[in-house]
Amino acid sequence: MNRIILGMSGGVDSAVAASELIRQGYEVEAVFMKNWEDDSRFCTSEKDYKDALQVCDTLDIALHSVNFSKEYWERVFKHFLNEYKNGRTPNPDILCNTEIKFKEFLNYAFDLGAKKIATGHYARLRNYNCDFQLLKGLDESKDQSYFLYGLDQKQISNTIFPIGNLLKTDLRKKAKDLGFTNFNKKDSVGICFIGERNIKEFLKQYIPENPGHIITSKGEKIGQHEGLMYYTLGQRKGLGIGGGHSKSNGAWYVIDKDLINNELVVAQGHSNAALYHKFLKASGLHWISGKPPNKEFIMAKIRYRSKDAPCQIKNFDESTISVEFQESCYGIAPGQSIVFYDDEVCLGGAIIESYSN
Amino acid sequence: MYYFDNSATTPIHPRVSELMNDINIRIYGNPSSTYKIGKNARSIMENARIQIAKAISAEPNQILFTSGGTESNNQVLWSMIQQKRKHIVSSTIEHPAITRVLKFLITYGLNHNLADVNEDGIISIDSINKNLNNDTILISLMLANNEIGTIQPLEQVISIAHNQKIMVHTDAVQCLGKIKLNVSKLKVDFLSLSAHKFYGPKGIGVLYARHPEKLYPLILGGGQENNLRAGTENVSLIAGMGLAAEISTELLNEKNTMVEKIEQQFKSGLKTFFPKAQFNGCQSKKLPGIVNVSFPGNKSNILMAKLERVGIAVSNGSACGSGDIKPSPVLSSIGLNKETNLSTLRFSFGIFNTKEQVDFLLSNLKSILVCS
Repeated sequence: MNRIILGMSGGVDSAVAASELIRQGYEVEAVFMKNWEDDSRFCTSEKDYKDALQVCDTLDIALHSVNFSKEYWERVFKHFLNEYKNGRTPNPDILCNTEIKFKEFLNYAFDLGAKKIATGHYARLRNYNCDFQLLKGLDESKDQSYFLYGLDQKQISNTIFPIGNLLKTDLRKKAKDLGFTNFNKKDSVGICFIGERNIKEFLKQYIPENPGHIITSKGEKIGQHEGLMYYTLGQRKGLGIGGGHSKSNGAWYVIDKDLINNELVVAQGHSNAALYHKFLKASGLHWISGKPPNKEFIMAKIRYRSKDAPCQIKNFDESTISVEFQESCYGIAPGQSIVFYDDEVCLGGAIIESYSN
Repeated sequence: MYYFDNSATTPIHPRVSELMNDINIRIYGNPSSTYKIGKNARSIMENARIQIAKAISAEPNQILFTSGGTESNNQVLWSMIQQKRKHIVSSTIEHPAITRVLKFLITYGLNHNLADVNEDGIISIDSINKNLNNDTILISLMLANNEIGTIQPLEQVISIAHNQKIMVHTDAVQCLGKIKLNVSKLKVDFLSLSAHKFYGPKGIGVLYARHPEKLYPLILGGGQENNLRAGTENVSLIAGMGLAAEISTELLNEKNTMVEKIEQQFKSGLKTFFPKAQFNGCQSKKLPGIVNVSFPGNKSNILMAKLERVGIAVSNGSACGSGDIKPSPVLSSIGLNKETNLSTLRFSFGIFNTKEQVDFLLSNLKSILVCS
């Protein structure tokens, strides 16, 4: 049996993934996952489904549908809201992978008689000394290994990433040559269920506004915020206070959230020392190989698309880890994940709890 | 392909497609033209009207050609916005071609209530009575349900309605060729048909009206169809539908016996290896060939996928625009819980199915079904 069940989103990546699998001789079927109930104004799932259907019809493969919106709500979205309520900046796409795509979808695919699953992630897999390693996608600008650090050996040994060694530009060309109508569809950005809309407007539907003062690190009140959950550490835009307070020092940036006093603490200038930190602590530690790396000097990303930063593992136990960066790091935000790399190998990661100097 | 989804659509009858091809090539005239090739087209069209009228015991001038069941339903409901009384009664198991229209027409001041069905899928007369009021102008009930096949007590409803000067429409798209339709005896006011449900072509249907003057056009333009449906008629589709109606009604008894045999073979065969199979809807008052089965312990979308792999086509409720399988509202209204609802498949057998095909279906189900 050679059957692969591919998660198909209607986007160009999973579309080309299907054709790559077929080319490699697999028997391919696709599944369109619905993880969010429609909000007709913002959700594009009908259009996405039609795109997926066009791709599957072109390739003459079956397209099934499955709805995990209940599981998503319970295990991803509730956590997402809680994190925001606690003033943190969660990353639901990471949880969606471990809880939905590589758990619910994986099991569903096995029920459908799949040998393995496949997704259109930009990541690669390698069998190395009896371990399965997760590697960055070859197209570094598109690499999605950051979102996949929570996978374990069992999950990745049952997975294929067919487009991990393609460049996005080549992939779009392939899609066009194959006759996929979605070949020039825009890349999705941001959190999937929020889509193109403003995150603040989205959150307002679920978490009431809670206005308070914006203060400087010296305690000077310089404006009003609408609620701490709408801001992220290191954020510049949308503070509504302009750069004018003392012009020479430039724009204002969020450096802290005081949940007790409901105050947003800001500092001026992108190079302000208050925005940079040398140490962080993180919890929910996970190593993809099941065991910690045998080196202490490694690289880390503290948010998706941040540059790899050299760091040293200070100490760790089963679930927590302390890290020292070689150079102070900008915009470390609790709730985001720190993901560790050894060159192109994604080692694992943890959720940022705190930072210090 | 092993096709057991004849309630979704039927394969076209070879004689029908032959006739249509011939007309498409030879009879290109516009039926409104007065010269010979136009007259030819017109007489073919009017002959089809006679065939349809005969198939349901109506008069030809009561037959209006539309694009299908959905348009026929729409035309009846939209016509009601011209009436003084502004209330419609329908049921919880209607097709979206009724329910969505009713919802939309609220914005035009037309209100409605939906009558309940019992757990056999039969409309409750009590519930109809309760939902009628002085403002009610129309009752719209499907003659037989598309998912479970149950046949509704329409005669009873019509006599209640007519006593109160209320008109009755029935969506009968599942019925032609499966049960005898006699509109003059039934005294129904409006009836919708769709050719592709009885081995005719897609894109053509019928609206029967006892009193066509009660109708208003949805599409305005030329004076075709007595000003009730403008636009040049599609002669070959209409002729194909006429012939399909004739074939289906002529063969009704003979073919139904055959389809019933196949249905029996399927049901008893299934019970031998999956005794927990649950047949939904009243089994004694339903259309032949429609079998709605719940498979406890199984998921319908998994079953569908596995059947598709071996070339078997069946249906599991209605998929929405994003392919997502929602619990069927029809099955919910006859009391199925969500899990059972999502373990349900509809098999609909037709005149081209054979005993051997059903053997193949059964042997595959046997290996696919999870028995626990």
